[in-house]
Amino acid sequence: MRITWRGVEFRLLLPILLLVPLGFVITNIALTNAFEPGPLHLALGYVALIVGAHLSLVAFGHRGDQLILPAVGAMGGIGLIMLNRLPQDLAGTAALGFELGMAATQLLWFGVGTVVMLVIAIGLRDDGILRHYKYTWAAVGIGLLAATLILGYEVNGARLWIDLGPVSVQPGELLKIVLVIFLASYLAETRTLLTDARMRIGFLAIPPLPYFLPMLVLFGAVMLIAVALNDLGTALLFFGTFLTMLFVATGRRSYVLIGLVLFVAGAFVAYQLFGHVQLRVEVWLDPFADPLGAGFQPVRAIYAFGRGGIFGEGLGQGLVTLGGGLTIPYVHTDFIFTAVAEELGLLGAFALLGFSAVLVFRGLRIAALARDDFGGLLAVGLTASLGLQTLIIIAGNTKLIPLTGITLPFVSYGGSSVLASFMMIGLLLSISHRSAIGADTEAAK
Amino acid sequence: MTGDILRIMLLVLQLAFVAGLYLVLLRFAGSLLRDLRSAEQTQLASRSGIGRLSVLESPEDEPPAGSTIALGPINSIGRNVNNTIFVEDDFVSTNHAMLTFRGRSWYVEDQGSTNGTYVNGHRIDRPVALSFGDELTVGRVRMRLDR
Repeated sequence: MRITWRGVEFRLLLPILLLVPLGFVITNIALTNAFEPGPLHLALGYVALIVGAHLSLVAFGHRGDQLILPAVGAMGGIGLIMLNRLPQDLAGTAALGFELGMAATQLLWFGVGTVVMLVIAIGLRDDGILRHYKYTWAAVGIGLLAATLILGYEVNGARLWIDLGPVSVQPGELLKIVLVIFLASYLAETRTLLTDARMRIGFLAIPPLPYFLPMLVLFGAVMLIAVALNDLGTALLFFGTFLTMLFVATGRRSYVLIGLVLFVAGAFVAYQLFGHVQLRVEVWLDPFADPLGAGFQPVRAIYAFGRGGIFGEGLGQGLVTLGGGLTIPYVHTDFIFTAVAEELGLLGAFALLGFSAVLVFRGLRIAALARDDFGGLLAVGLTASLGLQTLIIIAGNTKLIPLTGITLPFVSYGGSSVLASFMMIGLLLSISHRSAIGADTEAAK
Repeated sequence: MTGDILRIMLLVLQLAFVAGLYLVLLRFAGSLLRDLRSAEQTQLASRSGIGRLSVLESPEDEPPAGSTIALGPINSIGRNVNNTIFVEDDFVSTNHAMLTFRGRSWYVEDQGSTNGTYVNGHRIDRPVALSFGDELTVGRVRMRLDR
C-alpha cells in the first residue's frame, strides 16, 4: 500500500471547503440580522468529514477518479447550507439521548454515508461477489420490495418506508443499487447473445426472447411492485436506468424504441387505472386550476422560482415559512432544488446542475475506461441512475414533467437517499481504482 | 444605517459565494479538458487490440456461445487443433478459412472448405473485406467481428 497524493482532488476540494462555511455565515447574518457569524460547528463538521474522506483515499493509495469526490462534496455542501437554513424541526432524530435538528441529522447521515463509501471504494478489491451472485442480488431486491409491500407504511400516499426502531428506511433506495448490479452482471454475460437479432419485422429487429426472459421477468416484477407501491418516480427511474444499460450493452436503437413504446403504453394504462396518476397529470398541466388544493405545491414552487430570479433572494432571505407553515410543503426533500433556486437564483441552480453534470461525465468516463464489460455496465448503470434521478426531480420541480416525489441526490434531506448515493459513489470509485491499477500493470509489461 | 451596511455586506458575501461556485466549476472544466487531452494522446500512442470475434451460435460449444475471441493479425479457423481459432463442429473443414488484418481492414478467405464460409449469410468465393459488426459463419458456428 503506497500513499497517492490526489492533488487534483485536493485543489478542487479546497475552494468548496471554504464556500460551505461562507454559506453558513451568510445564512446566520441574514437570519439574525446582526454581524454574527453564528454557530459554525455543522459547517466545520462537514469540512472535517470531506477532508477525512480525502485523506483516507490518500492514505490507502486509492487511484480512483479525482473529480467525483469534489463534485459530491459541492452538491452535499449546497444541500447542507440549504437544510441549515430551513426550520430545523422539519425532521430530525432524538435517538441515543441526543436531540438533533434536520441539518445535524443530515450531517450524521453524510458521516455514515462517507464511511460506507470509503469501505466500498477501498475495501472492494474484487468485484466477484457482485458479479457472480447475480440471482442472489435479484432475490435480495425482490425481498426488499416484498418487505416494503408487507411491512411498509405510507407517507403521502406512497408506501415506501419501513420502521426500524430509531430510524425509518426506504428500501427502494437500496433496491436501486441491487437492481443495477443484477442488470450489469446479466447484461455483461449475455450481451453478445442479446445483440444477435436475427428476426426482423420491417426495420425493427426483434430481440431474441429466450435470452431476454429472465431479465424481463425480474424487471417486470420490480416495475409492477413499484407501481403497486405508488412509487412512480422510482418506477420511472428504474425504467430509464434499464433502457440506458440495455442500449449501452447491445448498441441497438430498436430495443430502446421498443422500450419507449412499452413505456408510453404502460404510462397510458397507469393513467387510466390510477386516480392519483390522473391527478398528477392534471396538476402538471394546470396547477392554477386548484391553487389551494392539489396545485398548492407546484404553484408555490413556481412563485419561489420567480422570487429567486437570476441572482436569488440571498441565503437566509427567501420566503421559506409563511403564516406559521412552510411556503412549499416538503421543501427539504422533493423541493430542495426550488429552495436553492429561490435563494441562490438561476445562477446558483445552474451551478448545482453543473456539479451534477461533472458527476455524470466522470461516471461515464469511468465506464469507458473500465477493464471489463461488467465494470463498464455497472458504472453506466450507477451513473444513469444518479443522473436520471437528478433530472426527474428537477424536471418535476420546474414543471417540465409531472412531479414525482424522489430525492435530489446529495442535496435533499433523507438518510436512505444519502446512504444509497454514497454507496453508488463508492462503487464508481472502486471501479475506477481497478482500471487505474490494471492500466499500470499493463504499462509495466 | 446599520441595516443598510448589513444589507450591502450580505449582497457582497452572496455574490462572492455564487462567484466561488463558478470558480469551482471553472476548475472542474479545466481538469476535465486536461484529462480529455491526455486521453486522446494515450489513445494515439497505443493502438492495440485490432478486433475480436463474438461467438453468437455454436452447437458443440467449442468455442462457447457468448464468448469473445481476441484476434491477432493472422487467424486460421478450422477443426484442426493447430488452428489459431479451433472450432469443434462436424460441418467445419480441417483448415476452413483465414481471417487476416491487412492495412486497415479485415479480410476473410475460404481455404477450400467443403461447406463454405459465409459473410452475413452469403457464401464467399474470394477474399472478402469485413467491417466491424459483420457476421461470419463457418459450419454451424456463427461469429461477429467486433472492435
